[in-house]
Amino acid sequence: MATSFSFSISMQARVSDLSATTTRFCLQKPASIFHNGKTNLSFSQRHPIPARLAISCAVKQETVEKVSEIVKKQLSLAEDQKVTARTKFTELGADSLDTVEIVMGLEEEFGITMAEERAKEIATVQHAAELIEELIQQKTA
Amino acid sequence: MRISVMSQMQRSFSIDLPSLIPLQLPSRRHVPHPTFWLIGFEAYLLSQTEKDGVDQMRGDELKKNALLARTLVRTTVARYQTNKEVDPRSLMFKKNVYGKPEVDWQNCKNCNHQPLHFNISHTDSLIACGVTVHVPVGIDVEDKERKIKHDVLAFAKRFYSADEVNFLATIPDPEAQRKEFIKLWTLKEAYVKALGKGFSAAPFNTFTIQSIPGTEEGYSLCKTSEVTADPLEETKKCNGEWKFAPLELADSHYAAVCIEDDQANEGAPMRVIVRKTIPFVEDQLISERIFL
Repeated sequence: MATSFSFSISMQARVSDLSATTTRFCLQKPASIFHNGKTNLSFSQRHPIPARLAISCAVKQETVEKVSEIVKKQLSLAEDQKVTARTKFTELGADSLDTVEIVMGLEEEFGITMAEERAKEIATVQHAAELIEELIQQKTA
Repeated sequence: MRISVMSQMQRSFSIDLPSLIPLQLPSRRHVPHPTFWLIGFEAYLLSQTEKDGVDQMRGDELKKNALLARTLVRTTVARYQTNKEVDPRSLMFKKNVYGKPEVDWQNCKNCNHQPLHFNISHTDSLIACGVTVHVPVGIDVEDKERKIKHDVLAFAKRFYSADEVNFLATIPDPEAQRKEFIKLWTLKEAYVKALGKGFSAAPFNTFTIQSIPGTEEGYSLCKTSEVTADPLEETKKCNGEWKFAPLELADSHYAAVCIEDDQANEGAPMRVIVRKTIPFVEDQLISERIFL
């Protein structure tokens, strides 16, 4: 029996997009981390996973949609303009002032507060959704 | 310091440095369809990475602006080479460790290593590129008429410093308040971009940019730090290390330029020359001013 985890990793990575200095990888599906199918119970009991790796990261489609709505509104995009989880704000013509306004809209919508540094680094709808869900979870924890 | 600005009419502004001699532009040609000719030529100038960047933009307007922005940077920086043979195509760019774009002099053929720094900013109708010698530069432009979708004061309270909020709160007319908010935004952005260390190095609420009393356009930077003993008392450390030049361009945009004060020139006023240009086609001096 394999134990399944879903977790998110934050890494410093060089990306060509100037607005993001951190790349987050988010596993959408729970992944088994034990290759041979055996569960090492003693491992999981004696070595608790650090809190930051235990954050659940599968973003809800609902969150992505709400973020897309707010982005479209802020940038005055046409309703049929395609905005997906992977859409970068810069591709849509957003500058730093737009990004900050989007963040304010997200804060109002979800009842959270984002630290400015993290907020300004949001490059895609996916990033925003992940950060939102992380903050909501911290709030309700 | 030179700022090049390009408006939707494919004009760009550039600001000259006194110590550099600009390249002679090729003689003007009659161009029947300037937009298409310019775009074709500009695509020729760009590297593959830049072209990929342009392709990622959604929609023709955004693609065109991305193309123009890269063209402006290349042609402007190339103009300040002492070796007049430098082809703007041969310039190479890299990013510093925080992601700020810089010229990669080592990998450029025929370039003499110049202590040139540049920074670029654009809105949908105007592109600006600033070039300096020896000192880092940051530039930001915003449309004067840009509507802020949130309440301006609420926005300021969320992101600006306490002193800046207090300043904005004293402005009774909402329109005037919105304009001052935008001016302040450009000044703050210009500083963060000049610093070149990413957003986390200078969150907006940790510094105040305020006008210097007795001057019309002098601004200084003050870092705020809270004294833990009394949370209501913030000590401010204002220094002259960063110089600001607020500008209005084409009657339609606010711009701000920020440079780090050169050790050698400490305290010396900043000379800012603004030119409006169509790369390779036209060049028009707009203003030459001193900022203290």
